[in-house]
Amino acid sequence: MSAKTFPWNGVPIAFRDGETIAAALANAGVRTLGRDPAGRVARYFCGIGACQNCLVRVDGRVVEACLTPAVEGVPVESAGEPTEAAP
Amino acid sequence: MSPAPVLVVGGGPAGLAAAAHLAAVGHAVDLVELRPALGGAYHRRPIPGVTPRPIGAESETRWARLVAGIDHPAIRVRLRTGFLGIDGAGCALLDDRTAGRVEAARPAAVVVATGALERVRPRPGWELPGVTTAGGLQVMMKETGRIPEGRILLAGSGPLLVALAGQMIAAGRPPIAVVETGDPLRRPLAGFGLLPHPARLVEALGHLGRIVAAGVPWLRATALETIAAEGDALRVELRDRRERRRTLFADHVALHDGIRPNDRGFPEPSVSAADRPFVAHAGDCREVLGVAAAEIDGARVGAEVAAILAGTSTTASKALARLAAERRVQAVLTRLFAPAIPPTPIAALPRETVLCRCEGRSVGDLAELLDGSDAPGGREIKLSGRFAMGVCQGRFCAHWVAEAAATLRPEATAPTAGDLIGRRWPARPVSIDAVIASADRSDTSPSPER
Amino acid sequence: MSDVAFPSDLRVAVVGAGIVGVSTAWFLARAGVDVRIVEAHAPVAAATGAADGAVSVASKRPGPMMQAALAGIRLYRELAESGVLDGLYLTRSTFLVAADRAEATVLEGHAAALASVGVTVDPISAARLPIVAPALSDRARAAIEVRGEGHAIGYDIVRRLVHTGGLRIDRDRRVTGLRRAPSTGRLLGLDTDRGPVDADVVVIAAGGGSAALLGLGDVLRPRRGQLLVTERAPALARGLPGAIMSARYLLSKASATGGPPVSPRGYGLVIDPLRTGQFLVGGTRENDAERPVADLEAIAHVLADAVALVPGLADVRLLRSFAGLRTAVVDGLPLVGPVGSGDVRVATGFEGDGICLGPLMGRATADAILGRPSEIDLAPFDPARFTGRMAAA
Ligand SMILES: Cc1cc2nc3c(=O)[nH]c(=O)nc-3n(C[C@H](O)[C@H](O)[C@H](O)COP(=O)(O)OP(=O)(O)OC[C@H]3O[C@@H](n4cnc5c(N)ncnc54)[C@H](O)[C@@H]3O)c2cc1C
Ligand SMILES: Cc1cc2nc3c(=O)[nH]c(=O)nc-3n(C[C@H](O)[C@H](O)[C@H](O)COP(=O)(O)OP(=O)(O)OC[C@H]3O[C@@H](n4cnc5c(N)ncnc54)[C@H](O)[C@@H]3O)c2cc1C
Ligand code: FES
Repeated sequence: MSAKTFPWNGVPIAFRDGETIAAALANAGVRTLGRDPAGRVARYFCGIGACQNCLVRVDGRVVEACLTPAVEGVPVESAGEPTEAAP
Repeated sequence: MSPAPVLVVGGGPAGLAAAAHLAAVGHAVDLVELRPALGGAYHRRPIPGVTPRPIGAESETRWARLVAGIDHPAIRVRLRTGFLGIDGAGCALLDDRTAGRVEAARPAAVVVATGALERVRPRPGWELPGVTTAGGLQVMMKETGRIPEGRILLAGSGPLLVALAGQMIAAGRPPIAVVETGDPLRRPLAGFGLLPHPARLVEALGHLGRIVAAGVPWLRATALETIAAEGDALRVELRDRRERRRTLFADHVALHDGIRPNDRGFPEPSVSAADRPFVAHAGDCREVLGVAAAEIDGARVGAEVAAILAGTSTTASKALARLAAERRVQAVLTRLFAPAIPPTPIAALPRETVLCRCEGRSVGDLAELLDGSDAPGGREIKLSGRFAMGVCQGRFCAHWVAEAAATLRPEATAPTAGDLIGRRWPARPVSIDAVIASADRSDTSPSPER
Repeated sequence: MSDVAFPSDLRVAVVGAGIVGVSTAWFLARAGVDVRIVEAHAPVAAATGAADGAVSVASKRPGPMMQAALAGIRLYRELAESGVLDGLYLTRSTFLVAADRAEATVLEGHAAALASVGVTVDPISAARLPIVAPALSDRARAAIEVRGEGHAIGYDIVRRLVHTGGLRIDRDRRVTGLRRAPSTGRLLGLDTDRGPVDADVVVIAAGGGSAALLGLGDVLRPRRGQLLVTERAPALARGLPGAIMSARYLLSKASATGGPPVSPRGYGLVIDPLRTGQFLVGGTRENDAERPVADLEAIAHVLADAVALVPGLADVRLLRSFAGLRTAVVDGLPLVGPVGSGDVRVATGFEGDGICLGPLMGRATADAILGRPSEIDLAPFDPARFTGRMAAA
């Protein structure tokens, strides 16, 4: 198993090559992804980029966690405002 | 032969078969797939290092054939590239996530092979974290070989729930129960329809056998009515045909009420052979007939598009006959899984039930909007009600909003889900940065100035 | 609605369920008139459903349109305060922003013109801009804040008026002409593709469809606008205290009104933070475009301009693009008033101002039908100026 990680809101999350951000976070037991840009709780739902419920921020851009491959060291953050903590 | 390439959208069996056929008859093909890997809903590939779960000889052969078919110098495969629609200048717009740039292409034709989307009936609590679609759970399983920790409940209706349960059991992580509104065991006669299709029957029986052997409760004629968060868990209320109620606790609930074509928001199929780009739909995005049909249909549409671009015509009687056979299989499945407990009509759900997950609009909001002297049509429900206005662009609510509107104002012309969603680009949200980057290349669009 | 100065059985038919037709019908219904709206498609099917919603005087030059815009703003405020448009009219400033010295000079002159008619205008220096509007880039060299402006979304206004007015709309019914008694020429009503409609008075508020009904094809012209909406970005929206309008927009507007257009596709820039935290960004002014469709080139151009002024937008996603056709009159002024004998009235040609002016012109049209004095001077908008060119009426 590889020891690659990316920081999720600052916390390192292990992932395997080819894994999406959503899969890696689910495997790490992360169930809610903070707030999305609209202020709703971001979370995984459809898995195929259709429902737009799993939005996170990578390199400043808002992307679907379920479509976006994790990349070593590339930080992933909640897409919404950091001041609003997820419940 | 046309010098402009054909754009094929979707890397599932339909897209791959269409691309292979077009390349074989001499067309350049751009095959775009949103995800980082080809495969689509059924042939989803595991990430490197993960052993694919066994899918049976027929499927293995199909996949090998599809992959071999696109191994052609005229086919350019572009992963992580989403099709955004066709703009007012007639350009096909592609969101290249790797380059971080939107591209305007001028293909001769576009084959939309975007597969199916799950139907998930709104129920109180379906918006909670921990609730996913069954397909969403399956994506994780297929790609990573892993199943999330905790108690998993599958609920809704359709053969996919049985298949998914079977796969989970095979992986050593059975669901706590499968809740099914239909009652296939009470419709054995319908099941005879599968006899001419032994492979399907064997597959179905295999999954069922595993469910029985693992002792997983298969709660038929039972509806999952509400989900509520209770501590870290989800509290789930069930109701069966005899109005018996029952409460379960789970960490994950995976919902699924069948599938429908993922065609909304994409350009409609061309009606005139003179249209450029000529647009055709293929596979489950045209008609939900399953994986075997998707391959057949992809090849058939590939041939049709090639003929149209060449100014000739095709006869596809063989393909059509095979599609008809697959349609009969689907009809059998539909009958087998027909609801044995009628689902609560959307309009009769508790007022606070969320319909639009993105904008948080509820059944009550819709009822309020529809009340008054003049019943709004589909587009007005969207604009003023903000239904189907959110980031998923109506893919999960439009259908139900349309159904509820028809119930609430039976005298008015019923809106369609298509009215609510519309067909404007972008078909999916796209980074503004990437849109601006489209201007970096000058050869992409006509200059309207002067 | 006591002082009945019109026949109590008066029947009015309004053609078109855009903001102008619906406003007219609403004021008539409130006065107790039997009014029906005949609409070819559905309410807000045309310009009203594809517009930005600036209720604004900021880009106007002194003259009748500026006066009308000021009255339009006042009416929105009244309707909001009286509860009719409660929650739908957002009061906010418009910031006209200059990105270079030339634009700054234009702005100064413009500020003086606005101030001369009593508009509250505050100049904002480059030094204060980052405090007032932190989301603006440092390319913004100067700005003026035009106070007391607002924003209203056309389709929301229409829905509310239809609802509160209890208005009846004949949908999917296209008006094909006026019906008159062959002998007397007296108005009988409308011909439609689904049979005749009886009426004593007809109001043509059919936007671009008015040209065919009045035989004014060479007077009314479509002028396309392309716009876009982003997903929500509330944090960024908080850094913009109001609508941002590039000072270049003044030039674009000026060049598009009246005389021959400089180029078929003119670009202006308005960035409107919506209540939802989304941004509505526009747009183009295009003369030779008949189809309301948006293209990547235009949207990318508008977005590039927008990001140059508000860099944070680069990290937001585009949710929807759309386009609408503004109905423009060749001399740049709308057509509001009687056509011929007065049993037919027209209210159209508001180009890019019909959201702002819709309720006002609807009330003025209703007042004229009711025999009440108008609160604004409609003389400059009198269709009689094109009398020689009008066919049907
Ligand atoms: C959850 C689920 C489970 C299923 N299970 C079964 C099963 O067990 N047996 C069976 O026979 N059928 C099953 N199906 C039906 C399935 O649709 C077909 O089996 C088959 O995958 C259809 O092939 P396709 O090529 O039409 O679509 P798909 O295989 O779904 O391929 C479509 C592809 O298009 C891509 N795409 C979508 N939008 C865009 C875009 N805008 N731009 C670029 N690419 C895009 C998708 O990412 C996807 O890879 C299932 C469907 C779903 C949704
Ligand atoms: C891109 C864009 C941005 C804009 N931004 C602003 C802004 O910020 N502020 C502002 O104040 N204004 C703005 N406007 C202008 C404003 O939208 C219009 O001036 C206003 O909506 C016109 O309203 P209307 O009722 O006259 O016409 P429309 O909304 O066009 O309505 C006319 C109606 O008549 C119907 N019709 C046509 N022919 C017939 C027929 N024969 N029979 C029956 N029905 C018929 C049509 O279907 C339509 O519903 C903008 C416009 C556009 C296009
Ligand atoms: S989970 Fe639906 S878009 Fe990612």
